Amino acid sequence: MAVKVAEEWLNICGGCEVSILDIGEPLLDLLPELEFVHMPVLMDHKYFGQTGENTEMEIPEADVGIISGGVRNEKEKHVAEEMRKKCNTLISLGSCACFGGIPALANMFPLEDLYHKVYKDCKTTDSGETPTENLPPLLDRVYALEEVVPVDINIPGCPTNPDLIVKALSALLTGGSFEIPERSVCDECPLKREKKASGGEIKRTLDSPEFDQSKPWDNTRCFMEQGYLCLGPVTLAGCSNKEGGENGVMVPRCIKGLMPCRGCFGPIRKGANPLVDMMSAISSIGLDAKQVPDRRALLNRYIGGQNRLRPLPARPK
Amino acid sequence: MANEEYEPLIVGFCCNWCSYAGADLAGVSRLQYPPNMRIIRVMCSGMVHPNLVIDALTKGADAVIICGCHIGDCHYLEGNLKAENRKEAIELMLEDFGLEPERFRLEWVSASEGPRFAEVMKEFTETVRALGPSPYKT
Repeated sequence: MAVKVAEEWLNICGGCEVSILDIGEPLLDLLPELEFVHMPVLMDHKYFGQTGENTEMEIPEADVGIISGGVRNEKEKHVAEEMRKKCNTLISLGSCACFGGIPALANMFPLEDLYHKVYKDCKTTDSGETPTENLPPLLDRVYALEEVVPVDINIPGCPTNPDLIVKALSALLTGGSFEIPERSVCDECPLKREKKASGGEIKRTLDSPEFDQSKPWDNTRCFMEQGYLCLGPVTLAGCSNKEGGENGVMVPRCIKGLMPCRGCFGPIRKGANPLVDMMSAISSIGLDAKQVPDRRALLNRYIGGQNRLRPLPARPK
Repeated sequence: MANEEYEPLIVGFCCNWCSYAGADLAGVSRLQYPPNMRIIRVMCSGMVHPNLVIDALTKGADAVIICGCHIGDCHYLEGNLKAENRKEAIELMLEDFGLEPERFRLEWVSASEGPRFAEVMKEFTETVRALGPSPYKT
């Protein structure tokens, strides 16, 4: 019998759903064993009956629930709670669901400030009051899914690695367990490290790093040591795919695109603070930590939920 | 909490070879200094990771002081240089966490400087008392 899957998207761009499609050929092997019973991104299924006649939210029972996106408003909270009730196993898919994601950058400011910025004092549109009619009210901040309902499996990434979705789903189908090992992106990165920066300046990612693509990866110097801000040391590994056939090496996705890691897989361990770890990593390899622009937002780019980003406490006068 | 009741809680990391001995000397010489500091003995000021400082400050301490050997006197040759390099990163992070820069201090105290240790602690406690409780205190 096929395993019933319910998929729901909350505060998200939809990239993680594309990631499910991006599984490619393995999806063909998986599909006969899966039955999607609810998936707003693909299927027209209304929460309160097809004409809105019902009063209770209706999500069919399922064995596996997949939720992408963080929780920003009351409606999303309601959907998340309903999904938890109806699904035996709940997967949070993508960095938004796991840590709040990019939208959680808004957690740096109180809700009132955001309303003012967007609606009341906006310079480029007609300003007005925050709309409330027929719209679910916003919560005080962006929550990771885990903060609202208990989650069984976390698959981070922005968007996540299709291989991980396959691994997680196959594990559930065969009754195995799924966990991403606590390793950093640097542990999987093939670039050459010398433990010392080549200069104190932090470069912008607009400049290209030095590399020679005709040679194997380990001829290229670590991007961080070249002076680019790479979040590899403080980010969970899992994005890497094998490069160059059977005997190839694992290359993290951003590195493969010759960009430094942006930290989308979130902290390596629960409770770690990438901002603090990264600042000490920067200063210990000899880069000038002062040059990092907008440190709080940059080093918490995908992980602003779970109270990692919050408005600064007011300084006593 | 009224300000006169407020007693600052200071976490002090003292290196085993100089500052802890300095604190010991202040003790055996019966020098008076405020009891607000909780000393944590570490082998070297260079092993105090910025994580420890930020964790202490965001989980209830009002201030943190790291004490190590004078530059050039480090038992491990350059541990205190490491501590000094981290100082700037820690100060930047205090800003990111919305804390006053005065809540963190790095001081060099040698084993023979008992009176200096007492003096530093007295002065630091007063500075922190004037700042008031940490905003992260619940």
